[in-house]
Amino acid sequence: MNVSVSDILIDLVKTASVVVVFAYIVTRTRFFSDILNKQFNIRNQVIAVLLFGGLSIFGTYGGITLPSGAIANIRDLGPIVAGLFCGPLVGLGAGLIGGIHRYFLGGFVALPCSLATIIAGLLGGMIYLLRKKEFPRLWQAILFAAGMELFHMGLTLLLARPYDQALAVVQEVIVPMTGANAAGVAIFALIIHNLVIERRTAAEKEKYRRDLERKEFEIETARRIQQGFLPEATPRLDGFDLGAFSLPALEVGGDFYDFIPIDRDKWGLVIADVSGKGFPAALFMALSRMCVRANAMGMSTASEAIRIANKLICHDAKSGMFVTLFYTLLDLKRRRITYVNAGHNPPLLFRGNTGGVVLLGARGIALGVLDNIDLEEVQLDLDSNDTVVFYTDGVTEAINAKEEQFGQERLIKLVVENSHLSAGSLVEKVKSEVVAFSIGQPQFDDFTLVVLKAL
Amino acid sequence: MEVSERTAGGVKVIALGGRLDAYAANDIERKLDSLVASEKVRLVVDLGQLDYISSSGLRVLLGALKKAREQQGDIVLSGLQPYVKEIFEISGFTQLFKMFDKTEEAIISYQQEK
Repeated sequence: MNVSVSDILIDLVKTASVVVVFAYIVTRTRFFSDILNKQFNIRNQVIAVLLFGGLSIFGTYGGITLPSGAIANIRDLGPIVAGLFCGPLVGLGAGLIGGIHRYFLGGFVALPCSLATIIAGLLGGMIYLLRKKEFPRLWQAILFAAGMELFHMGLTLLLARPYDQALAVVQEVIVPMTGANAAGVAIFALIIHNLVIERRTAAEKEKYRRDLERKEFEIETARRIQQGFLPEATPRLDGFDLGAFSLPALEVGGDFYDFIPIDRDKWGLVIADVSGKGFPAALFMALSRMCVRANAMGMSTASEAIRIANKLICHDAKSGMFVTLFYTLLDLKRRRITYVNAGHNPPLLFRGNTGGVVLLGARGIALGVLDNIDLEEVQLDLDSNDTVVFYTDGVTEAINAKEEQFGQERLIKLVVENSHLSAGSLVEKVKSEVVAFSIGQPQFDDFTLVVLKAL
Repeated sequence: MEVSERTAGGVKVIALGGRLDAYAANDIERKLDSLVASEKVRLVVDLGQLDYISSSGLRVLLGALKKAREQQGDIVLSGLQPYVKEIFEISGFTQLFKMFDKTEEAIISYQQEK
């Protein structure tokens, strides 16, 4: 028989292709992924035995034809892989199929060749057990396959007769067979390792995605709870018009406003800004709002209500958290406001009759700072067309691309020019102006605005 | 945010420059916490180069002051620029911190206590 080098190369490529395709397809099937997950039911094992036994039979024919006509076969490959990755039962089963088939093909090496195949599957499975069902490393699998082939050769020399012929065959096939089977096992091991890593990464990704989803859900829930703390709508007040808007810089924030019914003719108006932002500020905001609301409803004067609220807040204000707050007691009948300023930016009062603007300052200090505080109470009468603009520093400290602040001056000018608008429209106007001013910049701070107009 | 530290006549001085906002607050909080951790600390915070302070910045200074006073220590401020001073005035924090125009005056005030 005349076999050229190119024939051997073509054989080699053909055989390798079959092995690669087989390995790729088998490792992607359901049953194999079950086996990777150590789910060895009878069905999975039978399928594995048949497939790898089939590969073994293919290996008997589909080897590489050598110049002498002898075939360097890869019959042991299927049982070795079956044993290494699926355990001794599957290894033995695949080995039996390949081995018995080989035995009935006959020839003087029939016995050692079939025995070697069966033993290959069994030993592969032993290694699987020895490694406590961990897959072998690449080099271990290759080494085992090479060792198995050398054992195969030894068995042939031991059992096949006449010895001379056996020796001649062994001398010819020992190198190509060892190489071919080791390469085949390497292909399987590589593909399976990649698969394992792929699946692990996918599982981690999935876990990460779920965690993220849960956190997002919690944040969204927290945001909705906090939104619920703000008045759903501005109350209708006899002779007055109210507008309000609040937007946290992050999902939740530390700003809040509140409208508290005190009695038939009196309302408490609150605007406040907790130091910092995000969740710490949001928690402190919830606490502060409750303290103020509960006390405002029971107390006769503005300063007393806030003084007691401060005591309660102080008790829970560790690590320097504090809240600046402006509280207005609005008397609808007398058209009068009584306010205290606990360290908050002074609101703007635009006098409709004169066109003048007054800053509503009063001696005071932020809440949560000192146990006992002294708050100056200021009284003012409101006339028709007076407008009070309460705001947090997120409005005036909004920054544009040149890092300039929106500032109090711009706010005053805006209010004066738009004092004819309704409270709600004025809120919208200021909001859109600030947004336009700071376009392209991230929102730095919580942003809250309340407008009160005397009609 | 620029930060520098020194000791002058047994008084610790930390100078803050730039913007003390929500982003800088965490670092400065850790820094100040380590400074006020010891007993009877005498700290001057030099705000001469500070252009901006937000409510997060005030919170950090207030937290440090509370901790310092728990351990019989104190924090005083020096060199506040008009804008920063205005924020202290609005929030009422001028009632909490002793303030000096110059850092040297702040240091001397500590030394005269003894």
